[in-house]
Amino acid sequence: MKIDDLEKMESEDVSSLSSVERRNFLKIGFAVTGMYLGGSVLSLVSVKNAHGASASGVVPELGKYPYNPHYSMVLREKLCIDCERCKDACVKTNNVPSYGFRTTILEKRHSLGEDKYETIFVPVLCNHCNRPPCVRVCPTTATWKDEKTGIVVMEPSRCIGCKTCMAACPYNARYFKEEARTVDKCDFCFQSRLSKGVMTPACVEACPADVRVFGNLADPASRVSQLVHSPETMVWVLRPETGAIPNVFYINS
Amino acid sequence: MKKLLMLMVLGVFLLTGALLWASGDGQEQEEYDEDTYGPKDPIIWVKPVKSVVFEHKVHTMQGGLECDSCHDDLFEMEAGVAEENEDFTMKTLYEGGYCGACHDGSTAFASNTRCTACHIGARGQARLLGADGATEKTH
Amino acid sequence: MKGNNTTTMPTSSVTVPGNKLMWLSLFLIFIGVAGAVYAQVIGHHHAFANTREMPWGMLIGVYAYFAIVSTGLCLLAAFSHAFGGNQMAPLANRMVWLSIITLLGAFTVIGLEIENVWRMPLGVILHPNVTSNIWWMGTLYGIAVGVMFLELLLILTKRYSIAIILGVVAAITEALANSNLGSVFASLQAKPFWYGSQLPIFFLSCAVLSGAAAIVMFTHFSHLLQRRQMATDTFQGLQTAGKVMVLMTFLVTLATVWKFINAYASNDEMIMAADSLFKGPLAINFWVFEIGLGLVLPGLLLAITRLKSISVMTAAAIMVLVGQFFSRFNLVVSGQIIPSDYGFVGVPQYLPYTPTVSEYLIVVAGLGVVGFGFLIGERFFDETFRTSAH
Ligand code: HEC
Ligand code: HEC
Ligand code: HEC
Repeated sequence: MKIDDLEKMESEDVSSLSSVERRNFLKIGFAVTGMYLGGSVLSLVSVKNAHGASASGVVPELGKYPYNPHYSMVLREKLCIDCERCKDACVKTNNVPSYGFRTTILEKRHSLGEDKYETIFVPVLCNHCNRPPCVRVCPTTATWKDEKTGIVVMEPSRCIGCKTCMAACPYNARYFKEEARTVDKCDFCFQSRLSKGVMTPACVEACPADVRVFGNLADPASRVSQLVHSPETMVWVLRPETGAIPNVFYINS
Repeated sequence: MKKLLMLMVLGVFLLTGALLWASGDGQEQEEYDEDTYGPKDPIIWVKPVKSVVFEHKVHTMQGGLECDSCHDDLFEMEAGVAEENEDFTMKTLYEGGYCGACHDGSTAFASNTRCTACHIGARGQARLLGADGATEKTH
Repeated sequence: MKGNNTTTMPTSSVTVPGNKLMWLSLFLIFIGVAGAVYAQVIGHHHAFANTREMPWGMLIGVYAYFAIVSTGLCLLAAFSHAFGGNQMAPLANRMVWLSIITLLGAFTVIGLEIENVWRMPLGVILHPNVTSNIWWMGTLYGIAVGVMFLELLLILTKRYSIAIILGVVAAITEALANSNLGSVFASLQAKPFWYGSQLPIFFLSCAVLSGAAAIVMFTHFSHLLQRRQMATDTFQGLQTAGKVMVLMTFLVTLATVWKFINAYASNDEMIMAADSLFKGPLAINFWVFEIGLGLVLPGLLLAITRLKSISVMTAAAIMVLVGQFFSRFNLVVSGQIIPSDYGFVGVPQYLPYTPTVSEYLIVVAGLGVVGFGFLIGERFFDETFRTSAH
């Protein structure tokens, strides 16, 4: 399944889907995989995936998070206005070179007939997957999932630059940073901020529209947890079919 | 001879190549009279955030609004004035200032919906300014 | 050791055939390495055409190419050695050597391709990752080359029975290494056109095909170089290799057909990737080189001429080797050519990729290493190559 298809599910209440969209959306093989958490979360995933990694959809059940803190990010997609303050903040905080990015904004345009388009901006970053393909393929364990936080981190001095992790990442989240002679990626600002006691990533702090919400999914009181586990909210992830079990969630409320 | 053979092999090896594919989309423009409808070019603000667009065409020609519904109570007839004001923010809009005078959910769609109708973002701005399509796609 | 030269002074460098070629191959290595150094100095992101979205390019293909040829040679050598009676036995010793040098060619290319080679030797030992196919591939190929060197040593010192055992060990190691190489691509869910359990086996089939082609070509080259008449048993050995080629061109063609049918029965991304070869930017590479020149034509040529002519067999072998080269290139590129964020504004349907001069130069270095190794073999191990020793 392409991001393309996922996009068709962006609207949180199904009533706002046009009938064409709704039909499309059924045509491409998605199913409402059932009510979740006492009928509170509708998770829409591909039929195939529903029987795969996480039986109840893309959002793991409360109490079943492998880490604590289990850091994750929720992106309130339709609020994103592509002001790119998050990108700028990331670049500054993490010394990202001009040819690379750790996070970026993608743009999707739906035709509404005639000359009209509806634009959707989709912020993307490393999904800090529970089953990270990049970590599996690295020959020198230069990248791994931090045991405490679940953050996928890099150890530059071990990177041999074979770029297999870049090929393996379903999210195009990695790039080779020539200056540091290593593959570089988002680490939720672990190195630049979290480890120094600043508990939000730079992009989250910079966002003026409150699109990016960061926190500990394993804590039921955290905002991320509440957003993802709130009634009537449709939650989706990018490319669920790869089985990576991402920790970056998208919602529209 | 064999040397030739080897060179030939080499030659063929060196022939590898792949082609590039790119796509572009055209645009057309219907007649638009600036005297009747106001300036044709969209006005883009980048403060406090990149990038918000305002098009006279949508409001006057298509929306049927008169000049004085905006000028000069809500906006000056000069691009870039509003963005110098401290209060040119969503909060003011929600309270009925600037665009919010109409974009309140009754006259026109509300300011707290359809963010991307007004906010074309850095990408949208790049597209408006630089001919078309792709902004960045490099390393 | 050049006892068979027709000239009077076997050790004189002037008269040794292939001497000029030797210099040529050294020169190739030199300019190749120079290109690699240049690329390293200005930075791979400037020197290579690879991008974030297309991190792998021609060099990964060429690495795989040489590695696959090596595996094929090693497998065929082990078969010929172990089951002595067969007709390819007279070629087996040469195959061992060629397998070593093509693997060294592969190492050269990958060594010049990756960004920080110097971190590799210690890295893979101190921080191994047993779930990494790259790790297994590297380790196994490393072991294989060591074992083959030992085997060669034993062959040279005529301790054949242990040599045969080592040959079998080497072959198994290489086969495992090779299928791990396949799995490097085939285990990536993120790249559906690579993903699937058949690719490692496809690689092995290609290995047998290109190994057979390589032994035909190099044996013929050797005879041309040494200005020597071909012995009957050698010729018969080559005919057997020719038969292997006919069979394998057929099987590889079939595997390719099914891959496409499967892709077209799949989702959009698979269809687009298949289209990139079928009628997209890779179409010429695919139809003309990989399929036409690399599989169909040599298969037909061999079948029609019934393996009677050594020149035709060599021509077919060269075609196969060129075709396989393109096949690897096409595989590497087509797997990544569809952007993972296809469908978003400004994202092209197909990512562009055209190899740069630096990349070509590194390929030249690899070819130089193989050529040089071949000539070294001719110079020092000629005698051994001509015995079908057991
Ligand atoms: C819906 C509100 C609206 C209406 C109706 C409207 N304008 Fe404007 N106009 C604006 C805004 C907003 C600006 C930019 C002000 C700023 O940047 O501070 C502007 C700016 C202008 C400018 C300055 C452009 C420049 O490049 O400096 C002119 C001239 C103008 N308007 C003419 C007109 C005319 C003529 C009409 C009637 C046909 C009209 N406007 C109707 C909102 C409106
Ligand atoms: C005088 C009232 C008025 C003001 C002030 C006004 N608008 Fe509008 N606007 C309208 C009306 C009416 C429409 C068309 C009806 C609709 O789409 O709801 C419209 C439509 C639009 C649209 C087109 C939406 C679409 O359907 O594509 C955009 C974008 C827009 N306005 C932006 C702005 C911005 C930005 C401002 C502030 C600078 C602004 N407007 C101020 C009345 C106004
Ligand atoms: C009717 C047009 C319009 C709509 C709809 C709109 N905005 Fe705005 N927005 C503006 C204008 C005009 C500005 C001020 C100019 C600038 O910042 O470039 C602005 C500024 C902002 C700012 C920066 C100033 C501030 O208030 O902090 C943010 C953030 C913002 N908008 C978010 C949003 C979000 C989120 C939505 C959707 C819920 C939205 N906007 C919908 C017109 C609009």
